[in-house]
This record gives sequence, C-alpha cells and structure tokens, in this order.
Amino acid sequence: MSTALLQELHQELRRIYIAGSDLALGDYRLKRMLPQFQQLGERAPIFRRLAEGIAALIEPADIENYQSAEQLQDLNLLLTSVLRTQGLTAPQGELGPLEHRPVSLSTFLPYRKLAAVEEALTTTGSNRYEVVVHAFEEGMFRDLRLLALAVRALGDPYSEIAEFAMQKILPSYGAEVVPYLIDSFDPMGGRVESRKIQVIGQAGGEDVLDLIFQAAESGSEEVRVTAIRLLADQTSYASALLSWTKDKKKAIREAAYHALAVINSEAAVERIYEALAGKDIEIVAEAAAKCSSEQLTAWLVRDLGEELKHALSNKEDKKKVEASQNKINHFLTALEGKRNDTLYELFSEVTRQYSLYISTAGLDLLDAAAQYLEHENSSEALEALYSLEQHNTRYLSYAFRASFRQLSPAQLFEHYVQSVRNKWKMKTNKETQKKLKQFLSILEQQLIAYPYQLYPSLWNSPEETTYLRKVEMMPVEQVAQLWDSRWLDWLIEVQATQLVCVFARPDHSESQSFLMERMQDMTNLRHQSFEILLLGLERAGVDASIRSELLMNVLEQKRSSNLYTFEGHVLECLYQLPFTYQDRLADMIQKYRYSAREQLQYVWNEMEKKKQEAFVVDSV
Amino acid sequence: MIEMTSSFVDSLASNTAAIKNAQGLVKKRSFVQLHQSEDGTLLFAECKGSGSSNYQCSADFIQPDKPILRCSCPSRQLPCKHSLGLLYAYIGGEAYTTAAVPEDIAAKREKAEKREEKKSQQTSEGAEPKPKKVNKTALKKKVQSQLEGLEVLKKLLRSLVRNGLGTIDKKVIKTMQEHVKQMGNYYLAGAQTELRRLTLLLSEADDREQVYTDVVEQLAVMHAFIKKGRAYLTSKLADPTLALDHESTIEEWLGHAWQLTDLKEYGLMKEQVELVQLAFVSYDDSARQEYVDEGYWLERDSGEIHRTIQYRPYKAAKLMREEDSFFDAVRTPSLYQYPGDMNRRVRFEEMAARPLDSHEVVHIPKYAERSYTDVIKKVKNQLKNPLSNANPLVLLHVAEVMQSNQDEVVIADESGQHLVLRDQTSNGHRTLPLLTHLSSSQLEDVSMLVRFEHDMDTGRLTAMPLTILKDAEMLRLLY
Repeated sequence: MSTALLQELHQELRRIYIAGSDLALGDYRLKRMLPQFQQLGERAPIFRRLAEGIAALIEPADIENYQSAEQLQDLNLLLTSVLRTQGLTAPQGELGPLEHRPVSLSTFLPYRKLAAVEEALTTTGSNRYEVVVHAFEEGMFRDLRLLALAVRALGDPYSEIAEFAMQKILPSYGAEVVPYLIDSFDPMGGRVESRKIQVIGQAGGEDVLDLIFQAAESGSEEVRVTAIRLLADQTSYASALLSWTKDKKKAIREAAYHALAVINSEAAVERIYEALAGKDIEIVAEAAAKCSSEQLTAWLVRDLGEELKHALSNKEDKKKVEASQNKINHFLTALEGKRNDTLYELFSEVTRQYSLYISTAGLDLLDAAAQYLEHENSSEALEALYSLEQHNTRYLSYAFRASFRQLSPAQLFEHYVQSVRNKWKMKTNKETQKKLKQFLSILEQQLIAYPYQLYPSLWNSPEETTYLRKVEMMPVEQVAQLWDSRWLDWLIEVQATQLVCVFARPDHSESQSFLMERMQDMTNLRHQSFEILLLGLERAGVDASIRSELLMNVLEQKRSSNLYTFEGHVLECLYQLPFTYQDRLADMIQKYRYSAREQLQYVWNEMEKKKQEAFVVDSV
Repeated sequence: MIEMTSSFVDSLASNTAAIKNAQGLVKKRSFVQLHQSEDGTLLFAECKGSGSSNYQCSADFIQPDKPILRCSCPSRQLPCKHSLGLLYAYIGGEAYTTAAVPEDIAAKREKAEKREEKKSQQTSEGAEPKPKKVNKTALKKKVQSQLEGLEVLKKLLRSLVRNGLGTIDKKVIKTMQEHVKQMGNYYLAGAQTELRRLTLLLSEADDREQVYTDVVEQLAVMHAFIKKGRAYLTSKLADPTLALDHESTIEEWLGHAWQLTDLKEYGLMKEQVELVQLAFVSYDDSARQEYVDEGYWLERDSGEIHRTIQYRPYKAAKLMREEDSFFDAVRTPSLYQYPGDMNRRVRFEEMAARPLDSHEVVHIPKYAERSYTDVIKKVKNQLKNPLSNANPLVLLHVAEVMQSNQDEVVIADESGQHLVLRDQTSNGHRTLPLLTHLSSSQLEDVSMLVRFEHDMDTGRLTAMPLTILKDAEMLRLLY
C-alpha cells in the first residue's frame, strides 16, 4: 500500500480542517491526487472508498444536499482508521548495540512514595526540602528512577536542595554516578556545573583528575575555582597551580593559593611567600595561615619584624604608617595559630614597647601578641601579659586565663585580690570601678554558664517541649579544688551577688545571710540573678522550707508584670513547692500573665491532684 | 495477637499525607489510653484532637485481613488519621492494656454478624437477588435525550469544521465550553469529556500548529462516536427491552457507569482469578476532571493483561484512597470485566493478597508474545477502530535491545523483527533513559511490558517500555 500517498492525503485534510471545509469544494490539490486514488482503487477496495470520499468532498454529485463538514469528517474518519493500520514499526537508522552503563540500583519504591519525591524535585513550592531530606534518610535514592532527578537537583532553584544533592545525595552513589555527571557536564557553565565538578572530584578518584584539570584550565570562572580547589592534594598538578597564581582573575588566584598551601612543597611555599610581597597579600594571607610549612612561618616572622621596624622609622609619615599597618595585619592573619621562637621574641618585644607599637601598628598587633602569650604557658609570658594588662584593661582576661592555668589557687587569689585589696576598695576611683566590673565579669564567664535546655511544656501541651534558660555553675567540688577559699569573703565585700552564689558554702554563715538579704530585695524576676540566687541559697545550705518561703515572698511582691515565662531553674523550684502553699499560690496567679500564669496554674493543679491522692490515702 | 507491618498500614491509608499525619499523632503522643480486647482482635484508644473531648477510635480485626477502622472524629477521610495512628502506635510497640470491648463496638459487631448471617442464609437458600426493576419510560426518555444531545454536538462540530480550525478564537472556545456544560443535561458524560478534551486542546496550546494533528484525530474519534452512538441509541429505542450493549465500548463512551451486577448478568465475571500487577500509573486527566489510577495486571492462568482503573474526581480526590503500586499477588473470588478488546478494564471488590513468590515471577514470561509481527497485526487491528483503547499493552519477549544511529532504541524478537521504543509524551513520563542504566543481562532475553501508541504526525507505531522481567526480578520502569 502506498503509505506516502495516504500521509499526503492526511496533510491535505489537515489543511482543509484548518481553513474550513467550506473551502473544500473544487480544491485543486485534492483534485490532483484523486486520479492516483482512483487508479489504486481498481486493485484495492480501500483506495476506492477513499477516492469516493475525496470525490464526494470536492465534486459532489448532489450539490443540493452537499454538507462539506459531513463529507470531510467521513473521509477523515476513514483515513484515520486506515492510517492507524499503516504505522511504521521498523527503525530508520542502522542498528548497533545499545550504549549502556549499568548501575547497581533497582526499582523498589511504590508509586505513592516515588511520586512524592519526584514532585518535590520537579516542582517549586514549600516543604520540598523536608521531603528530599526524608527521602534520602530513608534510602529512597537507591531507586533507579530517582538517579536522573538527583543529578537534576544540582540545579534546583532552591539552593538548599541543590547543596544537599551535592553534599549528600550524589556522593552516596559513589563512583557510579560520575559518568552521568560527566555526560552533562559543561565546563563553561555556572553554579550548577561547579557543583557537578565538585561531586565528580569527590567521587571520581584518580580517573577524573584529567577532567578536573581541563575544567580548572579552561572552564568558566566558577567551575575553575571549584576544580582548582579539588586539585589541592595533587602534587602532580603543582606546576599548573603555580601558573594559576598568575591568573588575571582574583578568585582563580585565591583558589590556587589555597591549593598550594595544602600541597606545601618548596615551590608552593616560595610562590605563596612571593605573593605575600605583592598586591595579592590580601587573598594569600588566609591561604598562608593554612600552610604548615615552618619555612614559611620563619619568613613571615622575619618580614613582620622588618615591617615593624619600617613602620617605626616612618612614624611621622601618616600614609606610610597606614600602609604598614595594613601589611602588618595581613602578616598577622597569615601567622594565625602558628608558633615559633622568633615570633615569641617578637611579640615579647612588642609588649615591652607597648606605647611605641600601639601608636604605629595598632591594637591588632597587641591583640595577636596577647593571644600568643596566653598560650605560651611560661612565667615569662605571664609577666609580659601582666604588663599588657597594666596598659590596657582589655588584656585583663588574657592575663587572668593564663594565670588561672599557671598559678596555684592561693597564688591566683593573692595576685588578683590580696596584693591589691586596698586598691579594689577605692570606690570613688572611676577607673578602678570599671576595672573591678570587668574583672568580675571575667570571673563570671569562667564560673557560670547559661545553656538552653528542652523542658516538656507540661503547662499547655505535655507532648511538646520548650527551650528554657538554665543556669550552670561550676560544681562545688571543682570550686573547692581550683579556687582559694578566701574568694568568698572578698566577693561579699565587693557585693558580687552572682559570684557569691557560686562560692557559697554551708559553713559560711555570712554568705547565707548575704544571699537571703539579696533574695528579699529581689524585684526583677526577669533578671538572671533571680535564678542564680535560688541555686546560691541551696549551695549555701539554706533550709528548703526557708527557700520556698523566700521564693513565695518574692513571687507575691512581684512588681514587673511583663514576665512571660519562668525559666528553667525557677520552674524546677516551683514544681517542688509543698502543697501547703496552694492557697497563697491561688491568690497570686491572677497577677501573672502569658505562659507564667499557665505554669503557675499547672503547679496549682498538680498540688490539687496530690492533695486528692493524699486524701484518698488518708481515708483508706 | 494481631500481626501487621507498617507497609500494610500504609496501604490502608488513602494518601501519603494521611500516613504522615497519623505517624505525627504517635510521635506527639496524642493517644491517651491504648487498649486491646482480651482476645486481641480489637484495638481501641482515645486520641486527643482539636475538640474539647477526645476522639474514640478503634480498629476491629475480627476479619484479620480486612480491619474495620472506626473513629468519632468528624473527618470525611476514611480511614482517618486517628485510627491509622492507632495502628502505627501498635506497630511502634506502645503498651496496650487489656480492657473489655466497648459497648458500641460490641453492638456494631453484632449487627455485622447478623448481616453476614442473613447474606449466607440467602445464598444457601439459593435465592437469586431480585432483578432490578427498570423504569422503561424513564429510560426511553433518557435515550431520546441522549440522541438530542448527540444532534447538538454534531451541529457544533459541523460549524467548527465548516468555519475552519484556524478561525477558532476566544468567543468560539466560550461557546464550546457552554456546550460542554450542556452535554451533562443530555446524560452524555462521555461526550462531555471528549468535547472538553477538544476544547482544552484548542485553548491550552501555546502553538496551535502543534496540536492541529491531535485536534483532527480527536474530531475523527468524536465523529465516529456520534455516528456509532446514534445508530446504537436508535436501535436501542426500537428494542422493547432497552438492553445494554455489553460487547462494544459504546456504553462507556456514552457515559454509562457499569454496575457489577450488570456485568455479572451479561456473563462478564470470572471466578477465582489470580492477578499480578506488572505496572501502575496515576495521572491527571483534565478532560475528565479526574485523577486516574491505572493498574496493569496479568491474569496468572491465561496471561491476559487487564487494566484496573480508578477515577478520583477532583472534588472528592482528597477523601478518596489514592491507589498505589501493588507488589503482592491478588486472588479474587470474582473478577468483573468490562466490554472491550485488548486489556479490558476489570474490577474486583473482594480480594486476598499474598506475597509474590520469586518462582512465580519466573513463570510470568511464558506469556510473553514471541512474534512481533503477530502482535503488531493484532494491535493495528484494534487501533483501526477509533473507539477502542488507543494505547494497548502487551507483554513482549525481547531477544535484545539495540540502538540505531538515529538515536532510536529498538527491541528485536527472536526472528529479528524490530520494534522502535519511544516515550509517550502524553503522560509526561520517561522510561527510555532508564534503559541505559541497566546491565546487559537485563537487556537480553527478557520480557517487557510495553504500551503502544500510533503517532499521526510521523505515521509511526511505537511502544513505550513500562516494566522489564528478568528471572525473578521485576524491574518497574514506570511505577
């Protein structure tokens, strides 16, 4: 059968459908085809029927009853049926084996589970990230049908999903996924391609190094940066990395410096050092900080020293000093975390000449010196820190932390309190008061922490939890072991309530009365010291009944009405109130609002329950 | 003691959201009191909801494979999240205390028992269910109305064809949409769907040129439908019994919803049939305004491939159970078949599932067709009729999978007959790319369930692979 002719007729009918069947009468194209159909119709009846149909459409015998639409529809129906039996099934090109790369995945997910993930990865909208993460945790991505979508996810408009695909999903396939990524990898692309090369580099191993190298050399900027960083531990590409440090683009140079810092070969270190002398100092300094080469450290220290001298000799020229300061700061960045004897010498010298260097090099240099000395752990360094502390109270904390590590408890107390006790007493001296405040806050940082902890929200929805602030003080045994017992007296002397709570002891009646007084004066329930005081009273060995009474008194006298919630420790104390307080509690609940009221109500309810139980037990 | 797995509970849930919400309730510990009856056939509990009092939910396992889930919550979703959560809590190992069966459930059990008794009594007595009374006058009226509707549709199509598809603008589309609504008044649900399909084709295309071929094909289908429909309805009017046509698909095209009793009456019911699902798909049919869940099943005794179709109207979709891929073998006492040719639609009400044994999967390929020439002939013969299913499914034996230099994927049978595979764009799914991930053994000497499609534009008949069977493995490329 002549399929081509039938297809041609189909196209002509389609044309008439678009133009309208009213125009079919006498259509010359169909007219031209008609004889062919008639001729074929002599042998095959189906062509004869088609020929009749065409004739009825373009040259109707009975023009009176002619319905162009009806004729066209009839002919089209007949042709459609015929064409559907003529479908070609044979391939058009030459056949060869199917190119395939097997993966060890199977298809195991049912429709409902699979479709949810497919939807999350192919649409936009909320909650998609959760679905994807959940699917990954459940191992759903081991289903073959999600592989292509996982690769596609690298380009997801929601960057969290794209990053998750890059960091978790795709690496989980291992080396198997690499060929598929390479298939669609376009080195000239943007962020998506950069993510691809990242996975290729992570999962591909040795085999893909060449590809990464190509990408690093000739890709787009984003791709190059990622690729260069991937070459970081490949010494064989060191020469290329060296040449990239001369690239025009800053990001490329930065990536190359970082890679060289990891390689840490002689040439690499030299190149980094060389760059530190030039304009790139800004971008290379961080890379240098990561490099573990001792040679580089030595050079950096030497240059820092020279730069300092340079700054000193030019201290009249403001511009030059500024330039030097800039350079010095970069050197300090590069030296972060590094230790070396010459550097120690240098920093010691800097502290000795405090006023000289503070005016030429600035605070950053001295901060770096203090940082270094704090971790030196030698008495000499400690002395240096003390001298720094004399110049500026900001170094008090460095010195104190170093002292705490190096001195015995008694020595520490003597140094910081005993020897200067009278000085601390000078209440009129503003400087001293400021320093005292600072000192006490350093102590607090050492001794008290305020972590947040999850508590079950018993007062409104027991199945949920709420974060509440807690107070954590250094445990009593540690305090006794690491701190001199004389601190307590002094702390009462300077009225450091919170610290007194930490140091309070049952055998120290003065601390008991001090804290009880404080508790009575307590007005602001939102203040942290309210909770600390409760703990302090306990530590001071004050009787539980007195503590409960004190707590009740404070709650009843409360003046700040904007308390939202009772924080962790207060709440714990409330839970422990004996039910004799029930009536007093009932009286004051109305004064509170928000969660605080619910919490109190809950406490009251619990008391009621206990009372009932006690009543039952009694009656039995 | 009740034994169940979480996948069993999953399968009870109507959709994934219900599963998630139910598990959420367990996690939030919303169940206050968890009880089970002494014989362990009933689980019941109170669950905290948004209302002032707790919901009473229960799961009755008096028939272990067909639990009855009840709940006092007002949700229209069945089973609701509370009763599902009750089951998840049970699987999760929560402590259930033993308690007496609540009165209301005992009463319900009793009622159900009585119902069963009555039923069995009826069947044992051999009492045939009363034949349905058909109101002939009303039916006649309906048929007349349907004929009228077909006439209206014909007139509309005539004017569209005369004026040309190129002239269809927004105004014409609006007229068409009005006709879509009218079709409902003439009891022509099928015509309504087809006209809506045509309207959607014309109104939603960005580039009309691309859809004209489909439109012309759709017009052919509708023309055939009107012709056949008129002839059939006219003869039906003449027939004093006004019987249904149980041999062709015309009743379905007109919008008739077959009743199982009707099908049984016409001898379209098979007894004791075992089915294995080979593939599944769910899609949104905007012309029907329904979601469609289609399952493709192999009848284990005959090797015939059937389709189960569930329609979920948009409006009720939230409350209806979304079907899912089914991995177990299904045995049903009665399988109802719809009229049709290849891959008839089937339905079953009662069923028992059992895990599919791997050696049973190994036996499935014996039903695979080995000669593509024969298959293609059969498929074309079906496609010839515009009112038959245009996408027949066949399980083929594939000797090897190849590739042409024009990027066609081709399968070959043992005699070297070829068939081109192609993804069918109509449902948006792609399975061909997956073939490149398979191993050589999964591509040689395998069985493949394919779905055929004839493309009018290119004049090619191609097949889309849905599932590959190799040894004991069933590799579902679709769902």
